[in-house]
Amino acid sequence: MVSHMSDGPLRYFKSLPKGLLENYARQLIITVVALVSFIAVWWAVALWQNLPYLPPPDKVFWALVESFTKQDASLGTDMWGNIAASLQRFAIGFIFAFLVAVPLGLVMGFFKIADSFFKPIVEIFRPMPPIAWVPIFLLIFGIYWGPVMVIFLGVLFPLLSSVIFGVKSVDKPLIDAAKTMGANRMQQFTKVVFPYTVPFLMTGITIGLGIGWMCIVAAEIIGAVGGGVGFYINYTKDLGRFDLMYAGMVVIAILGICTVGASRLIERRLNQRMGVK
Amino acid sequence: MTILSINKLRKTFPSTPEDLVAISEFDLEINEGEFVCILGPSGCGKTTLLRMIAGLDFPTSGEIQINGKRITGPGSDRGMVFQEFALFPWRTVRRNVEFGLEIRGVPKGERKEISDRYIELVGLTGFENTHPYALSGGMKQRVGIARALANNPAILLMDEPFGALDAQTRNLMQKELLRIWSETKKTVVFITHSVDEAVFLADRIVVMTTRPSTIRNIFPISWERPRDRASVEFATLRKQILAQLEKEVQSVPAVP
Repeated sequence: MVSHMSDGPLRYFKSLPKGLLENYARQLIITVVALVSFIAVWWAVALWQNLPYLPPPDKVFWALVESFTKQDASLGTDMWGNIAASLQRFAIGFIFAFLVAVPLGLVMGFFKIADSFFKPIVEIFRPMPPIAWVPIFLLIFGIYWGPVMVIFLGVLFPLLSSVIFGVKSVDKPLIDAAKTMGANRMQQFTKVVFPYTVPFLMTGITIGLGIGWMCIVAAEIIGAVGGGVGFYINYTKDLGRFDLMYAGMVVIAILGICTVGASRLIERRLNQRMGVK
Repeated sequence: MTILSINKLRKTFPSTPEDLVAISEFDLEINEGEFVCILGPSGCGKTTLLRMIAGLDFPTSGEIQINGKRITGPGSDRGMVFQEFALFPWRTVRRNVEFGLEIRGVPKGERKEISDRYIELVGLTGFENTHPYALSGGMKQRVGIARALANNPAILLMDEPFGALDAQTRNLMQKELLRIWSETKKTVVFITHSVDEAVFLADRIVVMTTRPSTIRNIFPISWERPRDRASVEFATLRKQILAQLEKEVQSVPAVP
């Protein structure tokens, strides 16, 4: 009894499947080795080739520091301002996509007639890369709303597909159970179909965030008002400051990892709450 | 007193070259407080029959009446327990049990009182805030039973409720169901393909034929409960019913 209690703090680790910790440690070491090798190869190639548009990692690192600490004279802002501009654009596009995709997806999944009507239209636009819309959107919506609309399209379709799929995969017995307890069609929808769809919606959000993020750079490169990280990349390229250009690319990558990572975290939490383990 | 009466029930499903007759010439009366098991070879339309009583499916002709009123759809006078549990995975045990009460707009305080009572009845006190995924099969079906009872239905419809459970849990749940039944005095219509289960539980066993299904035989059982599975009379009746079921299965024409 006493000896059993004394190993209490260790019990958590002992309860883990054998080899799990070793696996994590190994994975971590391999990840570090991979990243270090990548930077080493980059460094070697940069020094060896000595090309203006391939600065070595240390130069990019200091450019990154510079981009955050020094205001660009002609842009009148530093990297924080560009990030804010991109995120704002991204958020607006995302929210619009969400507001359209969720109701439309629920209706298309639940009512056959709506599905028959909207499906052909959706199927025309869905296979087109959102970036193909950049030129015309800039013309129609201008340099603020143009990029926003591109993100809107990028996020819209993965979200829509996920919601429709979620509604269509609702367990029939759950609907039957709700019916036998007196739920009318509206209550079946709000109390069964909608909650059932939430985890699917989160998967759609994660995919949509990834695609939307890819779209923002392309959209901003062509035109953006008030800065933006994508815009910054193109702008520093024009200046010939390739180190700053790479700094912008690093920022885009990190922000992309963060948004998708945060979304996955929320997804996991939500799945637990929704009883999908 | 008759609570449920099934008259000249017929159910066909569209098919080619001709419609598939699932149930035909089916007549049955069930008394208030009675525990009726419906037993039949698989694919004989047992579940279709129960779904029609629940109002989830509709007869092609004939009718089902509850307290003299024709069934036209689902209603809170009938509660259903599903083989696959059909619990709402995002709801805790309590909120699953309260589902029907929520639908009917019962105020929160009253809901809690009722759910507390039924959670206790099925022996799940302490698990109110647990989600279904964390429960064993037997516990899930306890939630299923509590959820159906919380609406205070006159009839409890059970569609092979213990079919997905292991043998040990199944026997335990049968005993638990009899306890709950004696405490709530509900009418129970219980679908099963296990002769053993039917003999252990029922006041009356209705043996169905293969398609097109009708009643082959009805066995009333008046023995005291709990019944002894090892007794001679239990074994004799089980053998008798099994023999009938086997004949039914053999009478099915071979599928080419």
